[in-house]
Amino acid sequence: MRNLSIKNLSGPTGILAALVVLIVLFSLLNPRFASVENLQNVLFQVSVPLIIVVGTSLVIQMGSIDLSVEGVMGAAGMAWILLSPNTRLEGDIGVWAWFVALGLGLVLGLITGAIYAKLKVPSFVVSLGTWYVGLGIAILLYGNALLPSLTSEALARWPTQLTLGLPNCFWLAAVILAAGVFVSHYTKFGRGLMAIGNNEPIARSNGMPVDRYKIAAFAIAGTLCGLAGILATMQLGSGSPDIGFGQLFVVIPAAVIGGTALSGGEGGVIRSAIGVFLLIILNNGLVLAGVDPDYQSGVFGMILLIAVIAVAWPQRGRLKVAK
Amino acid sequence: MKSLSKIGGTTRRTFTAIVAAAMIAGLGANDAMAQAKIEHPEGFNPDEWVIVASVINTTNPYMISNIEGAEAMARATGIDLEIVNSNNSSQTSISSILAILASGKKPIMFVNTVASSDAPPIVDAVKQAGGYVTIWWNKPDEFKPQHIGDNFVAFQKHTGVDSGRCGAQALADALGGKGNVILLPGVQDSTTSKTRVAGFKAEINENYPEITILEERPSNWDPQLGARNAKDLIVKYGDQINGVWSADDGMQIGAMQSFENAGMLDKVKFSSDGLYPKTLEDIISGRGDNAIVGETFHRGYMASAIGLYTAYLAASGQIVPSELEDNKRESFFKLSCVTPANYEQYLQYDEPGAPDAFVERLIETGPWDTEPVPLIGGGVEVLPES
Repeated sequence: MRNLSIKNLSGPTGILAALVVLIVLFSLLNPRFASVENLQNVLFQVSVPLIIVVGTSLVIQMGSIDLSVEGVMGAAGMAWILLSPNTRLEGDIGVWAWFVALGLGLVLGLITGAIYAKLKVPSFVVSLGTWYVGLGIAILLYGNALLPSLTSEALARWPTQLTLGLPNCFWLAAVILAAGVFVSHYTKFGRGLMAIGNNEPIARSNGMPVDRYKIAAFAIAGTLCGLAGILATMQLGSGSPDIGFGQLFVVIPAAVIGGTALSGGEGGVIRSAIGVFLLIILNNGLVLAGVDPDYQSGVFGMILLIAVIAVAWPQRGRLKVAK
Repeated sequence: MKSLSKIGGTTRRTFTAIVAAAMIAGLGANDAMAQAKIEHPEGFNPDEWVIVASVINTTNPYMISNIEGAEAMARATGIDLEIVNSNNSSQTSISSILAILASGKKPIMFVNTVASSDAPPIVDAVKQAGGYVTIWWNKPDEFKPQHIGDNFVAFQKHTGVDSGRCGAQALADALGGKGNVILLPGVQDSTTSKTRVAGFKAEINENYPEITILEERPSNWDPQLGARNAKDLIVKYGDQINGVWSADDGMQIGAMQSFENAGMLDKVKFSSDGLYPKTLEDIISGRGDNAIVGETFHRGYMASAIGLYTAYLAASGQIVPSELEDNKRESFFKLSCVTPANYEQYLQYDEPGAPDAFVERLIETGPWDTEPVPLIGGGVEVLPES
């Protein structure tokens, strides 16, 4: 058994330190980086991946992976916009659009979870399948007609509007994050996921409903991807099957950088969230610092390497196994 | 267990096929509207041939338009149609094309290549199968139809430099020849993006000395990345920004949203390429105090119809590619500069049935003389000094 108390003590200090160093560095390079306007900008940009990473972390903690993020986002985003006031269809069903879109995410998550848990197919391939099922649904909804745009000013403006100085979309992400922290730390279910990641046979032999927990984790992840798809569609003001494009490779690295081990049983929602901040701030800072686009990818990668070394440094026990 | 673990890969392929089939079925539903039947020359049996259109994905409006053009050609010629969805992957593109070639029918093919390097293997396979192919947009410069033979009928494109110049003129004129602009190129190493950016910069350097390019941020043709980069640049430069040029309308849609969110849409001018329906809507409604000042017009269905018709003419022996002039083998087709003053003349090309009408005219006037996209030159596109 691993020593849980020591792990908790070490906490996310490494990644927090890396984040602070980046913030100081970018502020020196361009004072506008530390402006209130940029803070709002960064919070606007982190909200979508922040919502996704909560689900991603729950899944990764139990040693599984959910690759379906982008497909589920596309399906939910398209379903939502076509059922909200838009330029394509007059099928506005008001608040029910949310239920339909989130329900779609939930169902896709349930399918992934059920096939994974009951048929014992690796989550990697199952979620790859549901990724394409989601994308397929999005493409069929998209058809070959006009790009659907939101016609409701209120909905299109909602994510950017400020409440207590912070954009609404960030508040939404913060609520999800808080709920995620609560579930993973203070519920039997949350602790169960960690136990499954640590040692599934022991968890099972202790009478834990492992299959049910697995399905529930994927269902939560699917629903949150659905929510992220809706939010991203709102932010863009238009629907697209590709609305989730690129998100998978923000949230999974963010979770891993934050210290959530892909092998499961380690890490947490907060750490992954800090990982998201690190990645988004790194990108934002490089643009503000005026790094030449030709070098941006390379510089991004190098700083990332330095940051992950800093993050991993305190935990490099002689007996620690990394895979 | 082992066999089960294959499910993911198979699911992906099968599902892609199902989606593609469903799309084709859905899109082909208006077959009843068929018109303009071509009279095939003697000795040409349409049942021996299959029309193939390979597109990069089926989510981008331009690619969907490519498919519409191929459908219109299939209706006009009465030849079966196969659509290849490359899913943004060269491998998928090449392997799907090989699968169709293995079916035994000879292909009359239009390929919108994912990457330049896809052209040689695809052309080679088509040649082996006795088919005829026209490539659009991307191929290696030194890989010329004239060197390969008649099966590689032609390489065709609209020049990126002209597109960039159109956008630069419209934007600079709207700013009174003075001001600061930011650029959102597409995928940085794509030929299309590079040529458009080079055209934009050359036009500014040559004719608009008081326009300053503040910064360029490649946004990968992705509306969301366009929105993010625009947002970051708004924070960086604030109201110094007077104009925004994007290498295509997708990124412009994202950028405009960011400027609107920042309350700056009515103070900044935009120009781009593609005249997407959404962009047209914004021009018509005068969104953001007439924020969009310049666009270029060309349609995906026109590209695929021209490409397929050229290949059909070669397949049916009505042209012999090796006897054509060089600019009909490596061809540039016209691209129109659109402004809020003249957009109305392009509305007709988006009306229902427009692809069929275009194909009808194409058959009448030939692949090189059909308005609004006649042949205007050829060769390898040369980047201007900037």
